Amino acid sequence: MMSIQIISNDEQYFAYSNYGGAWAGPDGDRLTILLALLKQLPAGSINLHRFEQHLDFTPSVDVQEIIESSTEWRVDDKAVLYVHSNKNQYVVAITTSHDEPNWPSIDTIAFDADMKSQLDEQWRIEVEGVSQGAYVSQAQHATATPFRLGLQAQVDRDQVVWPPRHLNASGQRIESSDRQLSETATILSWTRLSAAGAPSEFSGRAPILNGVSTVLVQFDEGPKGVFMLTDDGEMSPKIDAVVHFDIRRLYGQDGMMHYGLKAILSDS
Amino acid sequence: MVDVAMVGAGQTKFGNHPLGLKGMWAEAIEKAVLSVDNGFDSTDVEEAFIGSIAFGGSQLGNTAALLTEHSGMGGVSVRRVENACASSGFALRDAWMAIKSGQADVVVAGGIEKMNDLSASRKRYWLGVSGDTEWERLAGLTFPGTYALTARRYFHEFESTHDDLVHVSVKNHMHGFENEAAHLRKQVSFEKAQSGFMVADPLTLYDCCPTSDGASAVILVADHIAHKFTDTPVWVKGSGAGSDHLALHDRPSITQLRATQSAAAKAYKNAGVTANDIDLAEVHDCFTIAEVLATEDLGFAGRGLGGTFAREGEGRRNEGSVTINASGGLKSKGHPLGATGTGQAVEIFKQLRHQVEPERQVRDAELGLTHNVGGSGATCAVHVFGRQR
Repeated sequence: MMSIQIISNDEQYFAYSNYGGAWAGPDGDRLTILLALLKQLPAGSINLHRFEQHLDFTPSVDVQEIIESSTEWRVDDKAVLYVHSNKNQYVVAITTSHDEPNWPSIDTIAFDADMKSQLDEQWRIEVEGVSQGAYVSQAQHATATPFRLGLQAQVDRDQVVWPPRHLNASGQRIESSDRQLSETATILSWTRLSAAGAPSEFSGRAPILNGVSTVLVQFDEGPKGVFMLTDDGEMSPKIDAVVHFDIRRLYGQDGMMHYGLKAILSDS
Repeated sequence: MVDVAMVGAGQTKFGNHPLGLKGMWAEAIEKAVLSVDNGFDSTDVEEAFIGSIAFGGSQLGNTAALLTEHSGMGGVSVRRVENACASSGFALRDAWMAIKSGQADVVVAGGIEKMNDLSASRKRYWLGVSGDTEWERLAGLTFPGTYALTARRYFHEFESTHDDLVHVSVKNHMHGFENEAAHLRKQVSFEKAQSGFMVADPLTLYDCCPTSDGASAVILVADHIAHKFTDTPVWVKGSGAGSDHLALHDRPSITQLRATQSAAAKAYKNAGVTANDIDLAEVHDCFTIAEVLATEDLGFAGRGLGGTFAREGEGRRNEGSVTINASGGLKSKGHPLGATGTGQAVEIFKQLRHQVEPERQVRDAELGLTHNVGGSGATCAVHVFGRQR
């Protein structure tokens, strides 16, 4: 199941979340919708135009870096494909005109308005909060963007390495490679965390979502990783089940929204 | 080479302690000094190693100098040792090495943590600072989660269920019930422990240790002066330590702790003993699954049989093959992070000298072991103690 809905006509693509235009979902926003749309289309170059002006929060990494790290697309201010975002709805468009498109009518899909309201408030609180010290430096966070969002891997003596490392056992620097981990992985274990069991960055949202699930997965290439589960609804993960990945909001802090890959059960 | 004797040991009660860092440390040192049979002068201490995470950021810098200043050891060569929850296990190892190397004859090792004067949100924040922040914590996982992943995988790989963890919880609460120094002095029924509030599925509240305040300290001396302090020292016969990847996902297996395995192998080799020789062990049961893994990694149970070991009561005091966590362990005695490792040594010191409450005494105990883990297994220190040199 796709994480977004797409309407296309006359070289125009409109995308919105499965919740309709009024909400991008518990961990979605206009940027995550754009990234999901770009992954559905043949890669090329896009002009971000005025897209960023309607983002709810400032991303922790430049939007261009996020797009180029996580998709095959390139951002170019001379490109003739323009990205637009709707000010009033969570709808994103790619068109061949820099003029704002005629936004299509999108059906309202029923969702828990109370949950949306609580989550919106929680995201705001998080973004306005400050790190208490146990943080990842902005330099490290930015450097690791292609690994975090694009699953770029290293290769050291024929071994695929991810997440990235600096030196191998011989003291040699492990360089980046063109290798990318596969887009699916297998669950080795999983847990569902209450607010008491979740990291503080997630503990405000955990009770609203009735807990948050985290999976330990293994990629076909060998490396393992930990990811939060999203779009799981009433479904429970299982060991040996397959997941794929989507970029969503991870947490907010120090005035910025941090994005990362989340796992989605492939049967959902 | 020099042998190392433990001639004194003391600790505060673990739990919600009314005093701050300086007061708690002074109390632990006072009790350690008073436990030395022939008397002890703190000015004789040549080196001191104090384990602490500095939870909440309290006195993050120069903690050790402040504490020794307020406990009659001003001017001593001292430093804070930080290896997460294994901080004072490593402080003990550093003290042991200082004497072994011949650089010092009288050394104090200890640990301290003040955890319960923080707001709930700050406490939650600081409880996750010792794992892999970038790829684990900020992907949704701190220690309840990592140990929950381990437990579920363990149940998948071996013939074990959550009920085996319940046996660990019930046993440790039973052991800690009679320990005056324990944080949670209450017995827990099997049914109650089975149905606890879910913290990180499959781990419930009864699978998780409490957050405690506390301080602990031991006094180590070189063999040639041990007789000046006591006729019945406890000998630190072996010390071993190891480390592993911080993040669970970087490890080849998440159902065994390589840091424990390598630390135990070195400690047993130093001491010239095997797991079969150990009479009692204080193991790092921050979560009940951690005790199950520890019994395997330390060699008390075969691979995949830690659940069976717990189910069959093999770790119960004076009933099983080896008494596991006679103090109540982290689960009941409590877990003041930096103070836990030397707190384990205090229990072994008292058990081997028959100085615990009579109902808690492990019969005929000759050899004891401590196992102190940092994080989800990134660091580990293991020590073997004996009544005989």
